[in-house]
Amino acid sequence: MTSTLPAVTTPQVPAQRQAVPETRSIGRTDPSNRLRRRSSRPDLILCGVLLVAILVVQGWNIADYPTLSDDEGTYLAQAWAVQEGRGLAHYTYWYDHPPLGWIQIALLTWIPAALSPESMTVGTMRAAMLVVSAVSAVLVYVLGRRLSLPRWAAGLGMVLFGLSPLSVVLQREIFLDNLAVMWTLLAFALAASPSRHLWHHFGAGIAAATAVLTKETMLFVLPAVLVTMWRHSHRDTRKFALTGAVTACVLIGLAYPLFALLKGELFSGSGHVSLWDGIKYQMTRPGSGFILDQGSGSHGVLHSWLYYDRVLILGGLAGGLLLLVTWRWSVTARALAGPSFAVVILALVAMRPSGYLPAMYVIQALPFLALVLAGGTASVAHAVLRRRRSEAETRYVTGGRYALAAVLAIAAGAYVVPRWYDGDRTAVTADANAPYQAASKWLSTEVADPEDTRVLVDDALWLDLVHAGYEPGRGAIWFYKADLDPAVTKTMPRGWKDLDYVVASPTVRRDAVELPNVKAAMEHSTPVAVFGSGEDRVEIRQIQTASGGVR
Amino acid sequence: MLTSVFIAAVSLALFWMAAFTLWWQMHAWRTPEVLASTRFSRPDGGEHVSFSLLLPARHEQAVLDHTIQRLLESTHTDFEIIVIVGHDDPETTEVANKAAGRDPRVRVVVDTHEKKNKPKAMNTALPHCRGDVVGVFDAEDQVHPELLAHVDHAFRTTGADVVQGGVQLINFHSSWYSLRNCLEYFFWFRSRLHLHAQKGFIPLGGNTVFVRTDVLREADGWDPNCLAEDCDLGVRLSSVGKKVVVAYDSDMVTKEETPGSLMSLLKQRTRWNQGFLQVYRKKDWKQLPTFGQRLLARYTLMTPFMQAFTGLIIPLNIAIAVFLDVPVSVAFITFLPAVTALVTFVFEVVGLHDFGKQYGLRVRFVHYLKLIVGGPFYQVLLAGAAVRAVWREQRGRNDWELTTHVGAHLTSAEVTRDLREDVPA
Repeated sequence: MTSTLPAVTTPQVPAQRQAVPETRSIGRTDPSNRLRRRSSRPDLILCGVLLVAILVVQGWNIADYPTLSDDEGTYLAQAWAVQEGRGLAHYTYWYDHPPLGWIQIALLTWIPAALSPESMTVGTMRAAMLVVSAVSAVLVYVLGRRLSLPRWAAGLGMVLFGLSPLSVVLQREIFLDNLAVMWTLLAFALAASPSRHLWHHFGAGIAAATAVLTKETMLFVLPAVLVTMWRHSHRDTRKFALTGAVTACVLIGLAYPLFALLKGELFSGSGHVSLWDGIKYQMTRPGSGFILDQGSGSHGVLHSWLYYDRVLILGGLAGGLLLLVTWRWSVTARALAGPSFAVVILALVAMRPSGYLPAMYVIQALPFLALVLAGGTASVAHAVLRRRRSEAETRYVTGGRYALAAVLAIAAGAYVVPRWYDGDRTAVTADANAPYQAASKWLSTEVADPEDTRVLVDDALWLDLVHAGYEPGRGAIWFYKADLDPAVTKTMPRGWKDLDYVVASPTVRRDAVELPNVKAAMEHSTPVAVFGSGEDRVEIRQIQTASGGVR
Repeated sequence: MLTSVFIAAVSLALFWMAAFTLWWQMHAWRTPEVLASTRFSRPDGGEHVSFSLLLPARHEQAVLDHTIQRLLESTHTDFEIIVIVGHDDPETTEVANKAAGRDPRVRVVVDTHEKKNKPKAMNTALPHCRGDVVGVFDAEDQVHPELLAHVDHAFRTTGADVVQGGVQLINFHSSWYSLRNCLEYFFWFRSRLHLHAQKGFIPLGGNTVFVRTDVLREADGWDPNCLAEDCDLGVRLSSVGKKVVVAYDSDMVTKEETPGSLMSLLKQRTRWNQGFLQVYRKKDWKQLPTFGQRLLARYTLMTPFMQAFTGLIIPLNIAIAVFLDVPVSVAFITFLPAVTALVTFVFEVVGLHDFGKQYGLRVRFVHYLKLIVGGPFYQVLLAGAAVRAVWREQRGRNDWELTTHVGAHLTSAEVTRDLREDVPA
């Protein structure tokens, strides 16, 4: 008779003869007890302390560093459009990304935006990302524990995830990837639920689908979620759990094409945007070259990541490799199969020779790199302290083990701490956005009648202008829409002559080369105010008509 | 606008109904621990409970003897079999008397009611029961020899007043509807009943049910006027707080067969639905102590009618959403019930796979296909039965339309003829 439930890996026919329930509620009390045991007080304290540290480092100076990114402006402006009831975007929504990401941003920023509409600007609303970071960081800890990492290693994973200078920079920004990471981590945590509850696995499928609908690149990580679920489900209930999860994921995922279908925009056709065209655009984006090829765009992106932090990326990859190699002997390696798998997939995808590698790509790998590095560390620690250790071992040998462990820990600390200190100090002290803020102030105070003024501006400043009274879409114009959106081009029949100002931020200067209207506007304008200097300067340029006057 | 609100409300209601039903249907597989707890525990060898096994038989001379022989093979040492036959049924009586002559543990009780039904027959036998526990089987049941020992153990270790064992239709290969019928039993006895036992409100099954004799006498036996006397007994007993334990073991279930024709399935389902309706109207469930239990009772007893309703409304709802001009968000909501229906479908497919595994039966691809394709048609059948039940109840027709059995779960040598007929109205 098998009186207790066998472990997941037991090959015997399990639990064939468990007792008839002694009380009616046996099925309810059992797992919840287990859960209670797992979220014990030391866990709460450790996780809480680390969370405070992460929030302080990530939150301090969040609005001023890093430099406002164009994409942040895009997503926040679209979230603003959702809040204002203007649809999914204030321009035509063209299926560039599934809209769930900025719908969530809209929800996150709903209350502050309602209390103070002017706060709906990129710098201020970065604060909302702290919520996302906090949830993700806690989930990394929970997942680490659920994948049977010791407490310290789970804590290490959380620190790596939340305090690496690379994470601090990227997680502060309003990127869809950060939200998608949160949902993916939730999917992993549910997949590894210790109670192995059918509806937890079902929920994991829903969370995974939400992650994909937040940022479609999360699709790559789904197999790793499935692996985690397979390992953590019981063989008696596995088929229900896995099919439940897959079904939930697919059905929720189908909501997106269904949405397009209901709007009559599933397939391409003349006169309207379509999901098909959106996917085609994303799939045919020009590649950025092979990542290890010096001089390719991808290589540059890799360098920008390594500039912020080498430890997490190279250490994480090394940790993944270590876990793969020690698969046969190491329990930790097997327990971390899911995150290792995710790291491997994401690394392989990044190595595609012809793919497009955006700078945010690394965001979705951060939690897995952190967990795998923490797991690798735990594996090494175990090997040093416990491996082949017997009762009879002399005190000197044991002392030697601890000495070695201490030396390794100190060496690692000596390498990591100064670098991270520098990186994180920059993050909490640097002011990278002064030119933007000054430009925003100038445009809201120095222009006589904003209602009738037309400005080409990049997405990061767009909401500032809207709050200053410029007309969204027609007055305050996303600069590239002047060339790419027929609806906008139509409103300026005389081209650049119908404009008043161009806010030439680094992004605008970079892209103007390929956008005729923007380029012409740049050429026929003179700076009236310049903030900052060098490459990062922001110029406000006034359009000069041929007669030498302004419009 | 009004259309949108109406459609959204209906869709959400349907969604929650379907979601709850699905949640309950999957109860046993929620966690491995729950699944393990739905089984009988291993008997310890001690035997302290004596059984009186009721075996009502009506025009069932073809299968009766086999059933009695198999019951007599039980490993348990302290039981009697009381075969209940009608005074107007000499063939079955003869088989029963022969069996009684061969083995002293078999006794025969004759039911002399003018209009016969199962609860009346069992009430007739109740005063003759000598055992501590009364068990009920049908004349065509295949009972596992170790079942009684397990039930004995369950009574002693749990302090239960009622033990419900598993019943399983097994001939899934017979027809498209028998496939779905088998699966219904699988989900009901394997999973859903356990939830009911846990929540303290349970409609009992018609056989393989064991009740302490004193509890049964205290409750005045079965309701002779109810078409679902088994459900009624369960509701009455659980409403006064009696403890019910359910156990399901694939090798210990009582194996049965699906009705032999679509018409008899329809009749059987009509009778059950009407029975559920009667139990609902008897209002015994109102004594249940908590609001949640009463809600569960209300919902469970009304399920057949809601099922009929949802089957018709889901396609209609989606059609409205697609063809009428409603906002995209509302159209989205109308798809929610279809989503739960789809999830249920998928779980049914997995359930069929598990069913095959549990019983060592080979489920082929064509069976999965039948399961899926047959789904909507089965829904129509259920809806038909529900409508029919309401109609009959409204007209005050509450006679028994019995089910015909052909012995499809037995090998053909054992049973060759179908002799049991529906009792004329």
